[in-house]
Amino acid sequence: MRMKSRQRTIAPGIHLIQECGRHRGGIADAVLARGVDWYREGTELHVPQNAYLLAGDQKTLLFDTLSPAASKTVLAGLEDALDGRSLDYLLISHPDVPHAGNTAQILRRYPGCQLLAPRAGETHALYHLGEAERVGPDDELDLGGLRLRFPEATFLDAAVHTWMTEETSRTLFTVDWLGFPHLGDECLKCVDELDVEIGVSRLEEFHSRVMFWFQYVDPQKVQAATDALAVEFEGYGIAPAHGLPIRQDSARYFALMNEVVQRVADAGRGGVL
Amino acid sequence: MSGVGKEPTDPTLAIELASGVRWVHECYPEPIGHVHVSVFLVETATGHLLIDSGSFYHRDSLARRVGQLTGGRGIEALILSHSDYPHSGNIPSFRRDWGDFEIVASCADADIQGLPYARRVRIGETAEISGRPFTFLDPPLADRSHTTWVFDEASRVLFVADGFGTIHPPDACASSWGELDPDGRAQGVFEFHEQTLPWLRFADPARVMNALHAIFERHAPAWVAPIHGPPIEANDLDAYLLDLSRAIERIAAR
Ligand SMILES: [Zn+2]
Ligand SMILES: [Zn+2]
Repeated sequence: MRMKSRQRTIAPGIHLIQECGRHRGGIADAVLARGVDWYREGTELHVPQNAYLLAGDQKTLLFDTLSPAASKTVLAGLEDALDGRSLDYLLISHPDVPHAGNTAQILRRYPGCQLLAPRAGETHALYHLGEAERVGPDDELDLGGLRLRFPEATFLDAAVHTWMTEETSRTLFTVDWLGFPHLGDECLKCVDELDVEIGVSRLEEFHSRVMFWFQYVDPQKVQAATDALAVEFEGYGIAPAHGLPIRQDSARYFALMNEVVQRVADAGRGGVL
Repeated sequence: MSGVGKEPTDPTLAIELASGVRWVHECYPEPIGHVHVSVFLVETATGHLLIDSGSFYHRDSLARRVGQLTGGRGIEALILSHSDYPHSGNIPSFRRDWGDFEIVASCADADIQGLPYARRVRIGETAEISGRPFTFLDPPLADRSHTTWVFDEASRVLFVADGFGTIHPPDACASSWGELDPDGRAQGVFEFHEQTLPWLRFADPARVMNALHAIFERHAPAWVAPIHGPPIEANDLDAYLLDLSRAIERIAAR
C-alpha cells in the first residue's frame, strides 16, 4: 500500500517533504506550564524535520534526508515530488542523524545520484563524506531555472555544515536556525497560510533547546550577526529544517530572533530536543 | 566478575586512568595534527560498559581491542554522550558482535536519533547502569542539544564528550594531557575548540568558564575524559582551564 505523501510545493520547483514525528509531550507540558497563547491542551505538538527537493528544468537536488524514523516518508515524498524524474544530487546540510539519516537508502534508490557535502569542516571521513563532492560559498549550482548558492552557516552545531540559497525565488535554507514547533493541524503549511502569527515564544521554545548555547553567548554578538544576515538576505523567504516555510516578511523573523537570543541568555536553556 | 581488569592493561590496547576505567584511544589525522576519536571502557560488577562507540572509521580496531580487553565477551551496556556519528557509529556493528546490550542516551526523541531501542536518562539525574551509578550533567561545551556529560561516581572520572579536546602531535597519541609537551599544548586546545564548537565565536568567555567551574565544584573529577583529546588528570586541570579560557577569548575575539 502506498503511504500518504507528505510533500507539497512551496514555490515553483521547490518541494517540502516533512517528517512530523510523534507528539512532543514534554514540550507541550512545558509550554502549558508557561501559559503560552499559541498552544491548546490536547492538540498534537510537532517539531518537524524538513527535506527540500529542488527540481530545475535540467537537474534535481534534495537538501537533507529526514531522520532514520522517516525512511518511508522521504522515499515516498521524493518519488511523488520527482514525478518520474531521477534524483541528480543529494546535499547533506550537516551530517547530523535527523538530517542525514537516510543518505544510504536514498543513494540506493537513486544509484545515479551524486552525493554533495559542505566544504566547511575537517572531519568528512568520519561521516562517510570523504568521497562526496564539496560545495561552499564560492560555488553555484545551476539546476536550470533554479540557481543554488551555499553561504556559510552562521548559526550551527557541527563544523561540517552549510546553508543554501535558491536565487531565482530568493529562498534561504537556514537548517537548524529559525525552527519552531507547530500544531497537529498546521503540518505541511507555510506560515502565510496559518490563522495565527508566529511569535517570539514559539521561536524561543525551539532555540532554547537546540541552540542551548545561546545561554553562554554575548547576545550583542549574535544580534550583530543576525542583523548582518537581515541585510544580506533582505527580501528572501526562509526555509528552515525544523519549522514551517516563511515566504513573506522575513525581516520580522530576524528581528524576533534578536529577542530570542536575549531571552535565552537571560533565562537559560529550555531543555533538550 | 570478569577478572580481566585485575591484570595490568596491555598499553597497546588501552590505558588505565582510574580503577576500572580504561581509555581506548584512536586517532584521526588532520593536516594540523591528530584528533582523538576515543571510547572509554568501564568495568562493572558483572562485566563491562562503554562510554560512546567511536567512529566507524576505527571499527575494526575498536572491536578487536574491546574484544580482547573483555576476554572476548564484549560489553553489556553502552552510555552514549550524543548521537553524533563519530560517537554512535559503531552501535549497530557492536550489537551484531556482542548481542543487544543496553543503550543509555539522553536525547528527548530517540527515534529521530536512530536509537529506537535506547533507554532514556534525563540530564541532572543519577542512574545505575549495570549496577554502577552515573550522574548525567548538562554540558556547557557541546555541539548537539541532547549531549550529556557523564560522571562516574565510583572512579570520579568525568566523561565530557566534545568538550576539553586537544589536537596533538602524531607522536603523542597515548600521552595524557599532562604528558604533552607544554610547547604547543595551548595551541592544540585552541585549534580543537575553534574547529569543533563553532558557536564559541559568539561566546561570552566568562559565562562559559563560570558554568565549567560550577560543575567541577559539585563533581570534583579525578580525571576529565574527553572523546577528542588526551585525558586530563585532576592535577593538570587548572593548567588546562587556563589554556581553555585563553582559547575561548581568542575564538570569541574573532
Ligand atoms: Zn506536523
Ligand atoms: Zn594521535
